[in-house]
Amino acid sequence: MENTTNKAEYMIRARGIFKSFQDNEVLKGISLDVCQGEVLSIIGPSGSGKSTLLRCLNHLETIDKGSIEVKGEFLVKNDTSGRAVYAPKHEMRKMLSCMGMVFQQFNLFPHMTVLENLLEAPLQVKRQTREEIQPVAEELLRKVGLYEKRDAYPSRLSGGQQQRVAIARALAMKPDIMLFDEPTSALDPELTVEVLKTMRGLAAERMTMVVVTHEMTFARDVSSHVIFMADGLIIEQGHPADIFGCPKEERTRLFLGNMLH
Amino acid sequence: MEKLTETVLSIMAGSKITLEIFVLTLAMSLPLGFFVALMRLSSVRPLAVIMDVYIWIMRGSPLMLQLLFVYFALPMVGVRFSDISAALLAFTLNYAAYFAEIFRAGIQSIPRGQYEAAKTLGLTYAQTMQRIILPQMIHRTLPPISNETINLVKDTSLIYILAMNDLLRVARTIVQRDFDMTAFFIAGLFYLVMTAVLTAIFKRMEAYYGKYDE
Ligand SMILES: Nc1ncnc2c1ncn2[C@@H]1O[C@H](COP(=O)(O)OP(=O)(O)OP(=O)(O)O)[C@@H](O)[C@H]1O
Ligand SMILES: [Mg+2]
Repeated sequence: MENTTNKAEYMIRARGIFKSFQDNEVLKGISLDVCQGEVLSIIGPSGSGKSTLLRCLNHLETIDKGSIEVKGEFLVKNDTSGRAVYAPKHEMRKMLSCMGMVFQQFNLFPHMTVLENLLEAPLQVKRQTREEIQPVAEELLRKVGLYEKRDAYPSRLSGGQQQRVAIARALAMKPDIMLFDEPTSALDPELTVEVLKTMRGLAAERMTMVVVTHEMTFARDVSSHVIFMADGLIIEQGHPADIFGCPKEERTRLFLGNMLH
Repeated sequence: MEKLTETVLSIMAGSKITLEIFVLTLAMSLPLGFFVALMRLSSVRPLAVIMDVYIWIMRGSPLMLQLLFVYFALPMVGVRFSDISAALLAFTLNYAAYFAEIFRAGIQSIPRGQYEAAKTLGLTYAQTMQRIILPQMIHRTLPPISNETINLVKDTSLIYILAMNDLLRVARTIVQRDFDMTAFFIAGLFYLVMTAVLTAIFKRMEAYYGKYDE
């Protein structure tokens, strides 16, 4: 995957990411590529650094060393002394604006209705008018099957409904890449289905996605590429058929064995 | 009967200064308290420490002492205020410290996920504060703010020692002049009415800001 194809095809290229919390080294040199329209799943045991990796990609955490390119521009790269230096604020803002994120805990704005949650960023950040954005937002709500709930407050929705609103809210900013951090882990099993269905829909529309997940079925059926992480390292990666069909590494086999039973 | 009317009218006149102190103190100490809270939470260490000390002094010493200090001690070193400004200064500084602590707790009670969601959507720090954090903070801090506000109504009676003709002082003057307790009852009634009105206002605000949970 190191081929030098047209660099614009790469939505995200990360090289040698190191990240520590105090003296706890959580990422120990992670590299990954995400191409346009690709669905990358990141799996691995709890505490292996999956969330931290995802959060580094959109600057919710800062990295200590390494580089991250977003659509061909450096968000962060090493300076001559080997320390990570971030791009100027306004350039970073532009790069980050092409990434949407969906959290495990939804993080909807509780004081706004469903529709207001979707309108907020386009109105405040993109300075779009209500007339421009409201039809788009309503269309997104229809797509996630929650148009009737547009005037409800998030506390009145089930977890699965809240998560679908969160997805729609991120999509309202028209991102090129969607990041998901265990979007169904906080949900009852019967509610995960509707969220996964929404995500499958997105993948079918060729949305570029990076998904940290414990849903092995989803990872196997939907991903174009799977990364298995443990202890801050990528242990194994490849096509889902290979990872799930005949994993090469012992640790991967053990992990999948535990997950599937 | 005529005397009663006169008493009520005098006390009403006295309540004007009480209300003036109350309204102006509130109008100044709420925003000041909010900015103190922001500075107290700022990552600029010295700023946070200074605010900590300020809050400690204001909450750790009697309001009466602070009033006397501004009114009597400062003029001795050449800083002079009119009666009402002296009272307003002391009340505002004192109440801003209490409000700051309430706002700080309110801001800190907002989950980190709210900031993160706002950031991933591209909102700036100012937008995040104004659009996401502040409304939720107001909702969460209304009950303690309501408490402090009612305390302020009663604390205004401290200006009595500054020889301003507030509600309480007027009442005491009448009682001493006529040897009749009625004025105290009427004064008490005035305070009760004010706090009742405030309680009702805060109830409505809580209902308004609380419409999103349950
Ligand atoms: N903000 C933080 N401060 C300190 N340590 C942290 C922080 N966030 C994560 N860690 C530590 O980093 C390590 C990796 O955490 P991370 O959340 O990335 O794991 P994960 O693979 O997402 O696990 P899970 O499957 O349980 O979500 C853990 O040891 C965790 O304690
Ligand atoms: Mg995680």
